Amino acid sequence: MTITIALPSKGRMKDDSAAVFERAGLPIVGVGNERSYRGRVEGADDIEIAFLSASEIARELNNGSVDFGVTGEDLIREGLADPDRSVEIVARLGFGHADVVVAVPEIWLDVDSMADLGDVAADFRSRHGRRLQIATKYWRLTQQHFSSQHGIQLYRIVESLGATEGAPAAGQADIIVDITSTGSTLKANNLKILSDGVILKSQACLLRARKAEHDGNPLLAPVVKRIVEAVQKAV
Amino acid sequence: MPLINMPEFSGRLLDDFAARGAMRIDTPVIQPAAPFLDMAGEDLRRRIFLTESETGESLCLRPEFTIPVCLRHIESATGTPRRYSYLGEVFRQRREGDNEFYQAGIEDLGETATALADARAINDAVEIVENLLPGRRLAVTVGDQAVFEAVVRSLGLPGGWQKRLIQSFGDTAHLKQLLLALASPQPVTGLSPEIEALVRQDEADLIAHIDRTMQETGYSTNASRSPREIARRLKDKLALAETKLDGAALLLLSEFLSLEMPLSEAPAALAGFADAAGLSFGAALAHFEERATALADLGLDLSKITYRAAFGRPLDYYTGLVFEVSLGLDPAVLVGGGRFDRLLTLLGARENIPAVGFSIWLDRIEQARAR
Repeated sequence: MTITIALPSKGRMKDDSAAVFERAGLPIVGVGNERSYRGRVEGADDIEIAFLSASEIARELNNGSVDFGVTGEDLIREGLADPDRSVEIVARLGFGHADVVVAVPEIWLDVDSMADLGDVAADFRSRHGRRLQIATKYWRLTQQHFSSQHGIQLYRIVESLGATEGAPAAGQADIIVDITSTGSTLKANNLKILSDGVILKSQACLLRARKAEHDGNPLLAPVVKRIVEAVQKAV
Repeated sequence: MPLINMPEFSGRLLDDFAARGAMRIDTPVIQPAAPFLDMAGEDLRRRIFLTESETGESLCLRPEFTIPVCLRHIESATGTPRRYSYLGEVFRQRREGDNEFYQAGIEDLGETATALADARAINDAVEIVENLLPGRRLAVTVGDQAVFEAVVRSLGLPGGWQKRLIQSFGDTAHLKQLLLALASPQPVTGLSPEIEALVRQDEADLIAHIDRTMQETGYSTNASRSPREIARRLKDKLALAETKLDGAALLLLSEFLSLEMPLSEAPAALAGFADAAGLSFGAALAHFEERATALADLGLDLSKITYRAAFGRPLDYYTGLVFEVSLGLDPAVLVGGGRFDRLLTLLGARENIPAVGFSIWLDRIEQARAR
């Protein structure tokens, strides 16, 4: 019986995750060569490491094929239909900071808040013959923020899988919902964040899939507890 | 439960529709998704079954009938007035209940005697459900978007505020937020001194400034909002921010929204409300009365119908009557209906076509019959 932890497979997220586990006394070593997608924790045969892409980690946690995972809260809240039921946030890890924000062209001098955007969206169809278009890959978070929190129903989402910040200037969409860490990309594209346009302040988290055997299985429960406590103490 | 067959009472239902002069039309199960998302908003996206054609067109399984029926009407370019009926499967992602179920209903397109058409829609819905659930006590609730709009207009608020309130009618939580904001307006902040100065000067200068900035920053000025539109709304917004609804008017609005009474008392109560406040609800109230009279003429007992002033649907194509039929205190809605005079032009009709209709949830009727 082993516990599987899914960690980001590349980049800064990979290095930062490794550093957290190192501090927690769970040093991670690769299995085989440097590019291998499997790993283990030194001195703990009951823990396996799987290196996956950040968005796959959200999915694997959701269907319970891994026990723990490190990924951005944005991907959990966007990718999972009922995140609070399927995963538990064990610890916020203090890296991978990114905000999911609503940004509009800077030149929209009259739009500073979601209420302004609501006014613009309401009139859009009669002025332009189409609904206000939002470029984003975060359609679930967008809907929650616009529809449930701000009562804005009338807009259309244009799925954008990359270079979202360029969509308004390119005429593909009117505004965007995207992640930003420093805001410099938005600024460079002459976009501004609405005063109440921060949908989610995201960072990398250690998440646990809510699986019954984590409590119920006498072989697994102590391992789960050890990981949770070690990481929580390390951050 | 897989659907092997139509509900066993379908035949009777179709006879009921035919007896009311409604022509049955069928629409494809697979529909282009855009009109639904355009009309009902993106919120619908997670509640429908979306797919894509090989060429990339976004398609969905028919989530309801009103839009397909209206599109079909526009396409076939037949004249009005016209009554359509439908009975068929609809598909929705639901956490509770089946994902595919039957709906049936009538859409009444182009009848210009709108008060009469409204009354007829309610009466038809009630009669049809009574036939299917004999001896059961039905609860009918009505609301009226037009009356709310008349109340808001009579308060003398600036146009922008009127629009906000009217837009959110039916969304009680949002409406409350707006009323709070109206009670304590926030000043507009974040404008640079240069813009502040421009706003107070000539509008043309402001427009020219916006236009220039757009060109410098590589925005194509014809793809989205134009410089003129932005300048106009900025001026409106500054005016709005200085508007404060006085306490009496706020109280009046909340008082109106809390009104709930038998429909038999509603016309007099609304008239009394207007008089007491020194307001006039004009044509909206006259139409409300006319509809109530027409309902009584059709033989409905108005004392058994509830009028709830805050009852509406926050979608921009609903324009007047909304109504629901349920069973006693059971919250499950058996029939939902309303007037949607703006829908056909939104869908591309050249002329204005007044429209009213209702939809019956046959799965819920079936459950009610089984109890």
